[in-house]
Amino acid sequence: MADDFDTSGRKLTTSKGIDTEELTGRTFPYQFDLSLVEDVDLNEATPGQDINWLEDIHLMQEGGMNAVFDRYTNAFLKIHFDIPEGRGDEIARKVLIKHLQEGNSYGIWLKHKHAKFAQPELGSWLANSQTVGENWKPSQLEGWEPPLH
Amino acid sequence: MDPMKAEQSSRRTTAYDVRGLAEPDAVAPKTAKVTGDTAELDAAGLTPRQVNLELRRLIYGEGIIEVTLLNPGAMHSLAVGLLTRCRIRIEGSLGYFGCGLIDGPEIHITGRVGWSVAENMMAGVVVIDKNAGSLTGAALRGGDLVIRGQVGARTGIDQKGGTIIVGGTAGSNTGFMMQRGRQIICGDAGHGLGDSMYDGAIYVGGKVASLGVDCVEADMGPEDDELIDRKFGIYDMDRPDSFRKFVCGKKLWNYDNLEPHERKLVL
Repeated sequence: MADDFDTSGRKLTTSKGIDTEELTGRTFPYQFDLSLVEDVDLNEATPGQDINWLEDIHLMQEGGMNAVFDRYTNAFLKIHFDIPEGRGDEIARKVLIKHLQEGNSYGIWLKHKHAKFAQPELGSWLANSQTVGENWKPSQLEGWEPPLH
Repeated sequence: MDPMKAEQSSRRTTAYDVRGLAEPDAVAPKTAKVTGDTAELDAAGLTPRQVNLELRRLIYGEGIIEVTLLNPGAMHSLAVGLLTRCRIRIEGSLGYFGCGLIDGPEIHITGRVGWSVAENMMAGVVVIDKNAGSLTGAALRGGDLVIRGQVGARTGIDQKGGTIIVGGTAGSNTGFMMQRGRQIICGDAGHGLGDSMYDGAIYVGGKVASLGVDCVEADMGPEDDELIDRKFGIYDMDRPDSFRKFVCGKKLWNYDNLEPHERKLVL
């Protein structure tokens, strides 16, 4: 998905909230279909012998809809399908892990442009992901000249 | 030489690049002994930057999933910024800011650690067999941080997630400005427990010297026991007979119209 770094469709609003759709200009299939996340293995996807950092991830609400908070983007990812009773946190965690493993997190996309040090793109969620940040150069403001002193 | 002059002299001779990176020309020493997908690295004689470069070379570049680090010599800032799943065993002690800014590694330290171990950890497991200094797990975001010995002051200051488990006692201002997450202290806790905490839970098995501002005792529920039993099972620790739970009293929660939304985002 990183090759598809295209945010031309996004529409930033003046609302207080932010969500992934607003930032990326798109939605993703697993936001609409429970069957696409049912096979996500949360223990396998996280370090240690339990769900590790996902302990702090819960089903939340954003704009009157179910949503999960993507801490790597600082934005909500809305969940459009009906969540079975009593499985709220589990499904929210599975949607988030699917989102991260598929490389669709907006904050992770930004690594391609802004990472200053070589690092795996998809961190701890996907083995052998590509390396980003190898050729970072400081950005240069057009027309700016360094001072003479 | 006067210590201050020596430090100033040292600063003048250390090179930094535009990113603020010290020793920008340093390269991985390639001294680790690799066997299959495991490696052994002797840190003796290397600078912290060289050790970290070698760890990145092994884990990012060579696909090594398990590294044993020998002779860490209480160096500062070792094993920092590692952003992938791997296992690291550190035979010895670390100085300040060890294992900070990590996302994924499982690290076992057989010795002691200085200030701010695992600060800003996003995900992973850090287990320390002996004692830890102050600011242990500062701004922890997620994952498990286990200290089998004692910890100093301000453990989990500004903690935003994750679980800190202390086998012994904890110093003053434990959980200071804690915003989320969990702390399990098996021994006693010093003065000012949970001072100015916003959210999260602190479980104490021993005595509490005093509570901090807006920290109150709460009832233990089955979900609290499930968490404690699960974590103690994973890390093979003896559970004290009973725990008391402490949370935010919410007397200092004063938000304007925008802040509730900001709070939801930040937490």
